[in-house]
Amino acid sequence: MKAALVRIGAIVRKEFRHLGRDSRTLLAVVITPVIQLLLFAYAISFDVEHVPTIVIDFDQTTQSREYASLYSSSPFFNVVQHGSSMSDVDAAFDANSARVAIVIPSGFAKSLAAGEQAQVAVLIDGSEPNAAKVSQAYSVALNQLYSQELTRDWADAQGLDLSSLGMLEPRVRTWYNPERRSSDFLIPGLMIVIIAIVTVQQTAVTLVRERDLGTQEQLEISPMRRVELMVGKLLPWTLIAFLDVALITGLGRTIFEVPLRGNFWTLAVGAALFVFASLGMGLLISAIAPSLDTANIIAMLVAFLPSFLLSGFAFALDQIPTWLAWISYAFPARYMVTISRGVFLKGAGFTEVWPELALLSGYALVMIVISSVLYGRRSSR
Amino acid sequence: MSTTGPPADLGVIDDTLAVRIRGLRRTFGETVAIADIDLDVPAGAVFGLLGPDGAGKSTLIRMLATVLTPDAGDAEVFGHSVTREAALVTPRIGYMSQRFSMYPDLSVSENLNFFATIRGVSRADRRTRSKALLESMGLAEFTDRQAQFLSGGMKQKLMLATTLMHEPDLLLLDEPTTGVDPVSRREFWRILAGLHRAGKSVVVATPYMDEAERCTQVAFIDKGAIGESGTPEEIKQRVPGQLVEVVAAEPRAALAALQDVPGVASPHLFGDVVRVLWSDAVAPVQPLAAALAEAAIADVAVRPIPMDMESVFAFLADTRAPAAAGSLEGGES
Repeated sequence: MKAALVRIGAIVRKEFRHLGRDSRTLLAVVITPVIQLLLFAYAISFDVEHVPTIVIDFDQTTQSREYASLYSSSPFFNVVQHGSSMSDVDAAFDANSARVAIVIPSGFAKSLAAGEQAQVAVLIDGSEPNAAKVSQAYSVALNQLYSQELTRDWADAQGLDLSSLGMLEPRVRTWYNPERRSSDFLIPGLMIVIIAIVTVQQTAVTLVRERDLGTQEQLEISPMRRVELMVGKLLPWTLIAFLDVALITGLGRTIFEVPLRGNFWTLAVGAALFVFASLGMGLLISAIAPSLDTANIIAMLVAFLPSFLLSGFAFALDQIPTWLAWISYAFPARYMVTISRGVFLKGAGFTEVWPELALLSGYALVMIVISSVLYGRRSSR
Repeated sequence: MSTTGPPADLGVIDDTLAVRIRGLRRTFGETVAIADIDLDVPAGAVFGLLGPDGAGKSTLIRMLATVLTPDAGDAEVFGHSVTREAALVTPRIGYMSQRFSMYPDLSVSENLNFFATIRGVSRADRRTRSKALLESMGLAEFTDRQAQFLSGGMKQKLMLATTLMHEPDLLLLDEPTTGVDPVSRREFWRILAGLHRAGKSVVVATPYMDEAERCTQVAFIDKGAIGESGTPEEIKQRVPGQLVEVVAAEPRAALAALQDVPGVASPHLFGDVVRVLWSDAVAPVQPLAAALAEAAIADVAVRPIPMDMESVFAFLADTRAPAAAGSLEGGES
């Protein structure tokens, strides 16, 4: 047993030496997560605010200006331009200087005064669907607000008391992320993408490299058992994966103020299981990949893409086609995203996410067993 | 079997044999790499496996090292089967593969220490042995240099030092000097001679015939089969005739002129001299000089020389497959 520990220690030390001398890999596992975090949290934000807006007021009345000011005073719209003809809308959309155009036709004030339904046109640039959808919702809401105001004014003028009139007022609340900040939503998921990349890719490559170097044969004729090699190879990457988890959690909590509402240990156990499952996948790739390049490409396919696209990280799993949703069950990322968001945002603990934890454990176990068997078969050529 | 003697399965080991190969066979797809060979390597021998590229040398050595599984037959290393008792074989062998197989980004001492540690060498032994090995091999001043920055000869010495750290009794060396400069090759063989004196057994594959001279025993291997084997002296004596060297200004013309002279066998170019085997009873110098003069080849020197392995190999190749003779001519010397 002691001899085995000495051998495992030798492998671990050696792996850290490789890492320490390979600035590219070091960069990939420590710096990349930080860069990705910043990119996702700042640049690729799904938050919609300050949508550049052009207003074309053909009416030019007090009422029309009052209506237009609704937009300029709203934080969601940013009136960047006042145009005088419809061609200004085309120009602004083409130049990407505006994404929403508010067109107030002439006769707007007259229609209102006559008690008719006044019409305004809200044109939305749909090339960015998320922003378009949100802008539409906001402008509809603004218009409703304005209509209510008009109704109230009219009622006042008629000497009616609307408070006696039953009205329905929906109060919509978004739970868990009331401000709907996308960083709250993205960072717990991003953590999973980063762990998947670091662990799967690196383990996929690490065993293939021993084969490529020819050092595999020297390891085979040593008294070291296969499981010792596996453990020695996995330990450093487990540590690094945890370092990344800590880094992302830390940055997320401090810079982006992502709440950590649930049980920290649930998250830690989930992360550990996910790391093992991912390492198992990496080993599996190592066992079957004939070359470093192939290992890298397969790792990319099974680590990055599913954890990005099929985990619920970027797209809600009930919004993707059913057959893709079924495929997503084959990758551990979806379970971990559920755990991570549950703990971070919903305040979940073991009692809430145990099914996912159980699935992850099973997944990790199956992966490591299959890869050990396949790796053994491969090395006894 | 005698009833008084110990039963064979009690593990009584014939310690006069380092390697005992019986019916060993290995194929790769359609290619038969090793074809049912039998071979004995006495303990303490420096045993040279000689043969051209693709003869099966590496396949044989890798099976002895337990990193390749035979299709049929078995081999014993110090009495232990490489197929059934690999765990008893590996502690006693050091295996050096043909290609450089150390970690390029680790230093000389880190490589040495890593492989010794997983081989179970204690910390104290690692320290004393690596110091002694690196000093004796002239690597002491390069201990902190990363392996990728070593010269070819130093890389081979590092590999050899690594295989020696756990003090194996049998060294399996697969073309350890291929691609290494002549000075480093000589030094490498000086180290092997030292190991031989220390009682180690060595099986070394080599395509170089001059290295065969330094072995205590050799075996020719071609197309997966063992041909001649024995001590270099024995093998040389098996070749009939006297080796004669012809130095001429135009060696190719001289070779052509000697081709059909009666009594000449296996004429071949060796560097830029012609060598022939003279199997007639009369002394060779006169008839050969006459034949060359007849072909109007001037400025020739004809002299009998002692047989060497290079010519033995050329002769064996000639008698077995005449067409292959050209490709085997002239290893480095």
